[in-house]
Amino acid sequence: MAQEPENGKKIPLFISRSHILTDVNKTGSWRFVRPIYREKTAPCSTACPAGQDIPRIEMFFNQNQFEDALNTILFENPFPSVCGRVCFHPCERVCNRAGLDEPVAVHDLERFIGDAAARGELKPGLKKLPAKGKTVCIIGAGPAGMAAGYFLSRMGYSCDIYEARSEPGGILRWGIPRYRLPETVLTFEIDRIKQYGLKISCNTPVTHDFVEDAKNRYQAVFIACGHGRSLKMNIPGEHMADDGLDYLNRLRKGDTAPSTTTAAVIGGGNTAIDVARSLVRQGTKTTLIYRRQKQDMPAFKEEVEMAVEEGVTIMELFSPVKIEKHDEEFVISLQKMKTAGMETDRGRSRVIPDGGPGHQFRTLKIFTAIGAEPADPWLSPLQKTDATLDLSHCTLADSDPPLLYGGDLTNAIQSVPDAVASGKQAAMAIDIFFKQGRHAITDRLNSCRVGNGPALSMARYMGEKQRNRHEDVVSFEHINLDYFPRESRAETKTLSLDDRVRSFDEIKTTLTIDRALKESRRCFNCGICNACDNCRIFCPEIAVTLHAGERQIDLDYCKGCGICVVECPRSAMELQEEG
Amino acid sequence: MAGYNIPDTDYMVSGHVGCPGCGATIAMKFALKAMGEKTMVVIPACCWGVIAGPYPQSSLKVPILQTAFATAGATASGLRAALDMKGDSETTVMAWAGDGGTFDIGIQALSGAVERNEDFIYVCYDNEAYMNTGVQRSSATPFGSRTTTTPGKGWKKNRKKNMVEILAAHRIPYAATASIAYPEDMIRKFDKARRMKGGTRFIHVFATCPTGWRIPSEMSVKIARLAVQSNVFPLYEVENGVKYTINVEGSRPVADYFKIQGRFKHLTDEDFEKIQNMVDKDWELLLRKTSYFDRLT
Ligand SMILES: Cc1ncc(C[n+]2csc(CCOP(=O)(O)OP(=O)(O)O)c2C)c(N)n1
Ligand code: SF4
Ligand SMILES: [Mg+2]
Repeated sequence: MAQEPENGKKIPLFISRSHILTDVNKTGSWRFVRPIYREKTAPCSTACPAGQDIPRIEMFFNQNQFEDALNTILFENPFPSVCGRVCFHPCERVCNRAGLDEPVAVHDLERFIGDAAARGELKPGLKKLPAKGKTVCIIGAGPAGMAAGYFLSRMGYSCDIYEARSEPGGILRWGIPRYRLPETVLTFEIDRIKQYGLKISCNTPVTHDFVEDAKNRYQAVFIACGHGRSLKMNIPGEHMADDGLDYLNRLRKGDTAPSTTTAAVIGGGNTAIDVARSLVRQGTKTTLIYRRQKQDMPAFKEEVEMAVEEGVTIMELFSPVKIEKHDEEFVISLQKMKTAGMETDRGRSRVIPDGGPGHQFRTLKIFTAIGAEPADPWLSPLQKTDATLDLSHCTLADSDPPLLYGGDLTNAIQSVPDAVASGKQAAMAIDIFFKQGRHAITDRLNSCRVGNGPALSMARYMGEKQRNRHEDVVSFEHINLDYFPRESRAETKTLSLDDRVRSFDEIKTTLTIDRALKESRRCFNCGICNACDNCRIFCPEIAVTLHAGERQIDLDYCKGCGICVVECPRSAMELQEEG
Repeated sequence: MAGYNIPDTDYMVSGHVGCPGCGATIAMKFALKAMGEKTMVVIPACCWGVIAGPYPQSSLKVPILQTAFATAGATASGLRAALDMKGDSETTVMAWAGDGGTFDIGIQALSGAVERNEDFIYVCYDNEAYMNTGVQRSSATPFGSRTTTTPGKGWKKNRKKNMVEILAAHRIPYAATASIAYPEDMIRKFDKARRMKGGTRFIHVFATCPTGWRIPSEMSVKIARLAVQSNVFPLYEVENGVKYTINVEGSRPVADYFKIQGRFKHLTDEDFEKIQNMVDKDWELLLRKTSYFDRLT
């Protein structure tokens, strides 16, 4: 460019022009802290006895990758449709979302995925490891035995399962009423486990001699046959009461004869509630008698509430002392109880007789459901030695080949996910036993824990990449709420009360796809990278790169401002002091 | 980029000399994502004059014309005229000036250009003081702020000038506010401005300055978001000086925004109340303008 000055001579006008880019400056040298990607564990996962990777399941769900969601569940739990219905969902009690509005409806989403698989819309894609040439004997085809068989077969073991009853499923089949768990749901999930090739021999009750013999015929034995004998109240006239679990069994077998017009159910656990609610459905006016406070019932709260809604009368703080028969009627003599401080270990009130006069309760039928115990003494290690391993969900006896006890025989909480946890722990313990020996079991299991809890991750055990279930658990304060507007929780449709008390139809329905998707988006995906891209979007240095789906920090240019870490909505990143 | 409607290509490069967490660099990154390759940037004296690169370096992949402090409006007008003479109607001229260069020393050149409805986009990245020369107050510095020229008890007692209203009063086709904490909204506005050729488009971008505001660098975006969430810096657009659209409605107390910044740490609850009042009144006024003009047009 040039100008025409007065004297007519051209003077050049120099404008300097840059010709290289600033990326020659390695401004990363300014940094004294460094951002790193470090996934953490969600509280829900640590609370799930089966150790499911819940944030990842919900992430796949809301990205419409339903099959990945299914496989992520199945990696840890073979029973999504069952657990989506009958699990007491401890995950939701600790869900971080509760700090903002309400917990994510994790169980409804699990059920949705499980049911989609049952309809054949999703195909599981978990592979089986090459055969190990070892066969494990499993006693009991309940949830613990089936879970053990499932995990062991996936690891390449052959499994022979022996079941006393005519069909597999244990308490799921015989003890849970249809309105909570339809049979087709259970059958589908059991069939899916069977596809891994395990052999189930039904109508085959097992004796102590059989077990001793099995130790010679098999490379390992897992006993998970549950509690076969109902507990006794030890009061006069008890023999005139019916066994609650037997009643549920009969119902499951199709015995639908109306029982009676009035009945009393004695107990406060889930079985007692199931018995009472089943009786109501048969037109019986039902009273539940429990010796402690209603709030201390071991039954799930929601189930107790529904029982009351359906018309079950609850008499709390009454302890039966005698049963007599007067003509057609039974008379239960009751002692009124009162609370007296707390039990130290169980977080419930201690109860003692209140000292007042006795009460009498008249009814046409009595069912007891106060708990159960192992049917035989050999269902726990006959003698414990230093080599006996008491694990959180099973016990490994001092024997070679390994003999393990699990399921309700060992579990502190007798729930379906705890049974799955037991089967998984037993499967891992057996595998470790063969690979590294008994001494390695405890440490190896510890290295597969989910967060800080007892649950174990099979994904971690089998070395799945990206599944490092870190001991750091994400708390509500770690969530960047700027990214999460309030959103109400999905409500499932339920049968009307009228319909409920008239039939054994399932009470709750599965969410619709639209509602389920919306619900899955409520999940914070605590602690995991869901590729939201905030780190890359906001980085002032353009130092976050994306190669083949992997985000990386380019340390040549990252100045360590920390914006990516703060803007990560879900605590999958953190700042580290430069070393 | 995944999950967002944000173009992937960047026209800003690494290795620039902006401070860690500089909001003004995030602003440029977003702006150019929307503006694209066919852009010429005019930068007067300001932090960005430095960030753009010491000779012979440049931190942008598009041409930059560096110019004198007061002259962004005039230089951009001239550059537009030159491009027009060359028959290049495709390239967009984007003036990129600080708040000092816009609210204060550059307002004459800007108002002149805008009155002529020059065909360019004028961006003021607002870090609320003269940062490049060491945090002196400007007419964009908010009430309550300490700067090196309003230190100690002499913290700024005057209100921030409302620049968008001044520009809207020129009745230009488009005047808008934007924030680095709302990338999609910001990129949409730049894209819209780019397409509205033929007149002046003004965008006022809120850009945090960790160094001058005495805030931790990692809080840079978070604090920009708080300014919007508390209505301290509302996001809105004005078309032809009369058609108002509010983009985000805040609901948080102003104290949430003020309390976490070093430049405001001397303020008392009484001051916050006063500021809340001012912000509420301004918000009210904005709402009224929006509905008043709505009825009129
Ligand atoms: C006429 C003139 N006066 C003073 C200066 C010194 N100077 C350079 S940048 C600057 C401050 C710019 O402030 P602002 O426009 O807000 O941009 P920032 O540095 O904050 O990004 C000053 C005063 C100058 N370059 N020219
Ligand atoms: S928000 Fe999702 S990941 Fe976080 S605790 Fe709740 S269910 Fe788990
Ligand atoms: Mg400034």
